[in-house]
Amino acid sequence: MKIDKIMHCDLLVIGAGLAGMTAAARAAHKGLDAIVAGNPSSFAFSSGLLDYLGVYPAESSELLKRPELGMNALTSDLPGHAYTLCGHNKVIESFEFVKTLLDRAGLPYTMHRAGSGMENKNFITAMGTLKPSFMIPETMTAGSLAVDQEKSNKRLLVAGIKGLSGFSAAQVAQGVRKYFADTRHVDISLPGVATGIQPQIMAELMESVDIKSAFIEQLAVHIGDADLCGLPGICGINNSPAIVDEMSTRLGVKVFEIPGSPPSVPGMRMAFAFEKVLGRSGVRMLSNVRIKDPVFDGKKFKLTAGSHPDEITIRTNGVILATGRFFGNGLHARRERIVETVFYLNVAQPTGRHLWHDTKFLNPNGHAINLAGIETDSVFRPLDPRGRPVYKSLYAVGSILAHNDWARLKSGAGASLASAISAVDHFVESGGSHGR
Amino acid sequence: MQPGTKKTIDTQVLIIGGGATGTGLARDLALRGVNVVLVEKADLNAGASGANHGLLHSGARYVHSDQEAAKECREEGLILKEVCPQCIEETSGLFVAVPGDEESYIADFPGMCQKANIPCRSLSISEALEKAPCLSKEAIAVYEVPDASIDPFKLAIENMSQACGLGGTYFSHCRVAGFDMNKKGITCAHVQNLRTGEELQIHADVYISASGAWAGGIAQLAGIKIPMVFSKGSLLITGNRLAKPVINRLRKASDGDILVPGGIVSIIGTTSIRIDDPDKIFPTVEEVDLIINQGQQMVPDLGVRRYIRAYSGVRPLVSSDDGDDRNVTRGFVLLDHAKEGVDNFITITSGKLTTYRLMAEKTADLACEKLKLDAPCRTRDQAMPMAETGDWTEPAASLKRGLGLPGHDDKMICECEMVPASAIDAIAADIRRHRSRPDLLSIGLRSRMGKGPCQGSACSARALSHLYDKGEVKGREGIRDMARFLNERWKGEHALLWGDSLAQSSLKEMIHCGVFCLEKSDEDR
Repeated sequence: MKIDKIMHCDLLVIGAGLAGMTAAARAAHKGLDAIVAGNPSSFAFSSGLLDYLGVYPAESSELLKRPELGMNALTSDLPGHAYTLCGHNKVIESFEFVKTLLDRAGLPYTMHRAGSGMENKNFITAMGTLKPSFMIPETMTAGSLAVDQEKSNKRLLVAGIKGLSGFSAAQVAQGVRKYFADTRHVDISLPGVATGIQPQIMAELMESVDIKSAFIEQLAVHIGDADLCGLPGICGINNSPAIVDEMSTRLGVKVFEIPGSPPSVPGMRMAFAFEKVLGRSGVRMLSNVRIKDPVFDGKKFKLTAGSHPDEITIRTNGVILATGRFFGNGLHARRERIVETVFYLNVAQPTGRHLWHDTKFLNPNGHAINLAGIETDSVFRPLDPRGRPVYKSLYAVGSILAHNDWARLKSGAGASLASAISAVDHFVESGGSHGR
Repeated sequence: MQPGTKKTIDTQVLIIGGGATGTGLARDLALRGVNVVLVEKADLNAGASGANHGLLHSGARYVHSDQEAAKECREEGLILKEVCPQCIEETSGLFVAVPGDEESYIADFPGMCQKANIPCRSLSISEALEKAPCLSKEAIAVYEVPDASIDPFKLAIENMSQACGLGGTYFSHCRVAGFDMNKKGITCAHVQNLRTGEELQIHADVYISASGAWAGGIAQLAGIKIPMVFSKGSLLITGNRLAKPVINRLRKASDGDILVPGGIVSIIGTTSIRIDDPDKIFPTVEEVDLIINQGQQMVPDLGVRRYIRAYSGVRPLVSSDDGDDRNVTRGFVLLDHAKEGVDNFITITSGKLTTYRLMAEKTADLACEKLKLDAPCRTRDQAMPMAETGDWTEPAASLKRGLGLPGHDDKMICECEMVPASAIDAIAADIRRHRSRPDLLSIGLRSRMGKGPCQGSACSARALSHLYDKGEVKGREGIRDMARFLNERWKGEHALLWGDSLAQSSLKEMIHCGVFCLEKSDEDR
């Protein structure tokens, strides 16, 4: 027996990464009835830091002290870039929206102002390198360095946990030695922590009073004259700010988390915070379903979620495509060319595969394929090959957009937030919710 | 040791080049009781020895073009299967013709095999499909021959390991900068350690260049010209193994016509492109497409498979005017430079992996003649002992050792290929014994680390953390190691990135550029 399952909404968001979650939250904030379909696992690949613009142009060896300093050149070089389309003020408004939202979910973030503008900070990574970023989880703020990277008079202790995968306190301490008056490292052995423990398991254990106290007591022995203490990002899952605060208080030094390789707990915390907010505001979430077969009947979109026998039909006034790039499967590369996987939209791309990648991985200019993606009008509606919006209320947001080599420019989060919010705002302004 | 410091070493024989021939020669001479030092400017198998199919030829590939080479392969194959079975998988091999392939070539094949003493059996198409279900159903003729696959890395590690056990010495990352000469020959080799800056002055009775594509350059340091040409051949590794046997196209040697199993993967190649500089080679998008388009004619699956890596090697050949370098004899070139008045200098180059032992034997014979030693070759019948660290080049080696299983106190560094921390430690200790510093590249060479589907995206960072924790890496040198490792892996990735491989490589960029900003910390940039 076939059971028809139909869901209706104002706005369907396809993709549950940073851009999709932000779009869904904005939609709820604006009073829309929204569905978000996708898999929030991409957050585990995020460091937890939310970048605006850390480098411009890509080949520059300087890290940007202030994002605005790169914006002028970027907007004149890249007319199709998300930042050019929405402008600095909208980017800041978007960061502030998400900051408020995460705050309410118990995951406070910080932005730094410098005079009338905004400031980047540099962060020590688990590799022992520095990364510039803009909006910072509070658990990491104490680890920020001035962007000019002058040697500070601070004394740093980096503490690792024996058995924890993918973090070496020795590596971090040696990598950043030149920025501190003194660096030391220590590895703490915790009862019941097995060799090869994954960060998310360690973070869960850290929420237990016994483990946390054992950790703090052992670490206290090594604090000595340190001013700062850096830890891997494992200070709890749901109450990380409180755990880091407690550690700072009990140890008498400023404790901070260090961003590292996936699976990343600070990234996962963001996913949980978004889920909490969206759940409260009545956004329906469809996890782990593939959205396919879009049809537009002149008024509404009809799409299919999942596959037989659990197939659901979704009817919606608007669609936001936030499906990501190759890793998120929003874009798929065939041997000959790149295609968009849901609507088969036009993808701006180099003319042949031989142009996709440079022969050097770490080439500072990046790879041409990273600029490939969906081109949109100024309100993030995808364009057909003749430069007209494909549909009145289909939007593309986030990393699927063309012209943003986010890994090189450190511009991923800002472009995702600003495009998602601009798209939702346009949908609302153009009366998108009235079709029902 | 500080840069600029000098160290003098005396030995009977200095071998230049740590490929299959050089390491095989080190073992051969060591077994004859000769004291050897081997210097290698990069690391084991850095040239053609590490960039081939890993095919132990039955000889059938050469029966039309070079009967001598075919017979040599047959005889050497039989010897190697006897003396180093741990490096060889007896897969057997199929020669497959598809519609359009030259009929006389097909018809003559069994007779030519018989002439070279190579067993060759005609299979019906259905019999062939049973042995290799991936074969094209369009196949028109299939023969079975005793091809096998061989692990060239394991081979070099085992050869060098035994040579060192017998008193030999291996120096990696040591480049010969020049020779001191007198009227009769070479009196000293000036060798520079590219890692430490240390200079070695090596005094040997006999100097042997086994430097493959670089033989011309080494000979030039002694004032001798060897006219060499270089032919680049590129190969692709599939994400899993397509067939048990080796599959050869039954036609004149051409592009993309040999598919060789290498443990859990298969390797398809090659191309043949004249190049000027053997140091600057990598597979191109055009070559990748050519290999796939040709290969899928005999194995259609090659058109849709996931590929995890491509690589290129250089065939060092003695000059020829023929357009296709595959037609130049693959027989080896042994040059006694006494002819040019340098009495104690020998060059061995060209040749095939399959005949490396024979090349080593003939070279060692000549060296012993020069040393006035009556010491017979022992590599024909003496079995090669298994080196302690040799088998980490093998897929799933950790399973065999019972490591990485639940309850075992050993963390997994490379999750794709199951390389545990204990393996990294053992390999690092081995590298230290050879007076070098373990880094990600040298560990990758000696294990499966970074060779799985993720191509080192995650395990490189885990391995580096582990090396820092163990004190094997210090200061910021690990960051440079990481950049080098990723750039080196990339040479074999960038031409075959589409589908899942591209998704994987974009993750690598997210981590290493997006989070770690390695492109800004790349001190070699």
